[in-house]
Amino acid sequence: MTALERAISDPRPIDGIGSRSPMHGLARRSIGFADVLGQSVSATAPSAAATTVPLLLSVVAGAAQVWSLALAAVLALLVASAVNEFTRRMAATGSLYTFVAKGLGTRASFVAGVALLTGYGFISMFALGGAGTYASVLLARVVPGVDASPVLLAGTIALVAALVALVLARGIRVSTRVALVVEAVSVGIIVTLVVLLLQAIAPRADWSVLSPAAVSPPTLAVGVVLGLTAFVGFESAATLGVEARTPFRTIPRAIVWTVVVSGALYVLSSTSFVLGFDVIGERMSESVMPVDQLASAFGVAWVGALLDLSIATSFVACAIASMTALVRVLFSMGREGLAPAVLGSTHSRFRTPFVAVVASTPLVAVVPVGAALLGAALWDTMQVLIVVAAGGYITAYVLVCAAAPVFLHRIGELTWPPVVRSILTVGLLLGALLVYLGEESQSERSPGVWVLLAVMAAGLVWALVRDRNVPGLRHRIGVHDEPIASDVLGGALRGHGTGRPGGTERSGGG
Amino acid sequence: MTVSDVARATNGAGPEDGPDGGRPSRPLVDDVRARQPKAIHSALAVLEEVAARGAGVTAREISDALGMPRATTYRLINLLVQEEYLVRMPDLTGFTLGRKVVQLAHLVAPSPPPRAAREVMERLRSGIRGGVHLARYDTDRIAVVDVDDDFPLSDENRIVRDWDASAMGRLLLAERGVSATSTRSGHTLGAIVEETRRAGFARQVDELVPGFGCLAVPIRDERGRLVASVSFAAPRSRIEDPGDVLATLEAGADELGRLLV
Repeated sequence: MTALERAISDPRPIDGIGSRSPMHGLARRSIGFADVLGQSVSATAPSAAATTVPLLLSVVAGAAQVWSLALAAVLALLVASAVNEFTRRMAATGSLYTFVAKGLGTRASFVAGVALLTGYGFISMFALGGAGTYASVLLARVVPGVDASPVLLAGTIALVAALVALVLARGIRVSTRVALVVEAVSVGIIVTLVVLLLQAIAPRADWSVLSPAAVSPPTLAVGVVLGLTAFVGFESAATLGVEARTPFRTIPRAIVWTVVVSGALYVLSSTSFVLGFDVIGERMSESVMPVDQLASAFGVAWVGALLDLSIATSFVACAIASMTALVRVLFSMGREGLAPAVLGSTHSRFRTPFVAVVASTPLVAVVPVGAALLGAALWDTMQVLIVVAAGGYITAYVLVCAAAPVFLHRIGELTWPPVVRSILTVGLLLGALLVYLGEESQSERSPGVWVLLAVMAAGLVWALVRDRNVPGLRHRIGVHDEPIASDVLGGALRGHGTGRPGGTERSGGG
Repeated sequence: MTVSDVARATNGAGPEDGPDGGRPSRPLVDDVRARQPKAIHSALAVLEEVAARGAGVTAREISDALGMPRATTYRLINLLVQEEYLVRMPDLTGFTLGRKVVQLAHLVAPSPPPRAAREVMERLRSGIRGGVHLARYDTDRIAVVDVDDDFPLSDENRIVRDWDASAMGRLLLAERGVSATSTRSGHTLGAIVEETRRAGFARQVDELVPGFGCLAVPIRDERGRLVASVSFAAPRSRIEDPGDVLATLEAGADELGRLLV
């Protein structure tokens, strides 16, 4: 009999395996690939970004935007490969925060954690603001006697936020499924639109405007950095590590597919914009609603209404997905004790980080609601919010790319390719981050840069204070899902890890 | 991916197919093996190594023990983790078998030979002093399906893994014309293959246990392909000069061939 036959016919219990994971309380291993993909795609919100980012790019990169977006997709794929060194090996709700802890240690993980919370938090504010804007416009159109007033706008944003919180609290299957369906509709609409536009444009198009010969390297660099902001959120599937079935297969795939699908959509839409504006002889950078303008020019004006619907639904899906990721990072911090322990508790029936949802949603909603009530131009506020979010995301990306080879070395699985990719990506991303913040600090969105720095500094001080005051915290940072008796052949050694009360005191190793 | 192919193939051959177990789906398994025999062999070797060394074995230890390149081993291990045949321990460095390997049970433990064949084996054993074993070859895998209880195998893991170490493995080496293995250079391996082909049977001394050796006589189907072997293990002198035993084994192999093929 071989050892494998013997192990199968007479399984022995395994020492070091508990009867429950340190992440217990969540709906462990319950959602499939489509839902995990829906999470990442929704957080990226490619249908909204496919119309807005090319508009931003047209100002700085002009016709080079197509190439900028294609290169940004390659850069995002490099980041995805670093993230996936972790997602193939560990399942965690803390995502990049936990990964950085496993590679670079506690201090670096504080920076990554605060950066990631900043990214998810501010993109949620942005999405709630966007969803509220479109929803209130629709309301004013449909319900007679209602005007698009600041109070209506604020009320709608608050209502959307409450609905998001409800969906999030109700269960991971509910929230990922809602986000998946809503985002699928949105992407479907935008693809239809772009294909229709391209069909109308193609016969009259001058394809030479896309030639790479016309692209200057500095323009391209700035374009790639801005283009990267269209991809942020793709990594958010990693926060579902505990809740996904076969997480070591589905999560890496979802992350890569999100970049590929979004990248293809961006290249397609920016191509149609560049060709279209060239044909009608107008400047895209002076346009406000490029799709509307092109649609009217090419005789398909009715698509404008469809586009509004697509963007509105994309904002809702983005809010759900970004808040899903945000509360799971908070949940992880609560379990470790970095954040108040109550954030690490779960709802017994819905098996969601209920307290984290209830605590974070009002904090996130208050910014767009406040901006609406104060009568500030909400769109201007949203432009600032997205700068803060992008800065947070890219900071976390830099750290996770640096952490990947160190982590692989620590677990004894280091080979050369991840080292080379890491050095290349960290260099490119650091450059990108500096160029981006430098550019934005010169623009009318400069408050975003200062808010980012202030939020990062405040968060870091808070983390360091907690680190000093909470005994044993350092050893609990980096908590992740652990295999339980029912996952391994032979189960757990009797008496090991059973009947352990609470569970929050359990360290995740590290 | 190859491992999910194994999973799909073995899932299809599960007990839900009816009382006859995996029979109806067996051609699918064989088909997968025919397309990816090497990868399946490596995947099973990794699982075998984890089973032999116990929970907590690291990727590097597996790579070293199997003599496979690091990058290849890590990729294979992570594939097996993705498909949940292997589970990473909480420290993230060690591995243990996942509950899902139970689905591979019929793959790693082939069905026992028919009763008539077992009876032939018993008769051979009663007439020969020494261990007499029956092995089957399944594309690129050796499965010892009938072990002599009075003379247990010294190291079955090594026998099924390192083809150049045992006589039953050397038969498969000669059949496949393998030119290099992790443990032996092409030159000495070439001599083994040449010798085995010339003699029509395989021989090994001192490889597994010093002072002992074994002989393996091939059992072939009507097209001449190697499907099984009957082997004989004994002290070195009786292997180097087997005398009548060789003729007895060849007659037995002939008889077994009609029962097994």
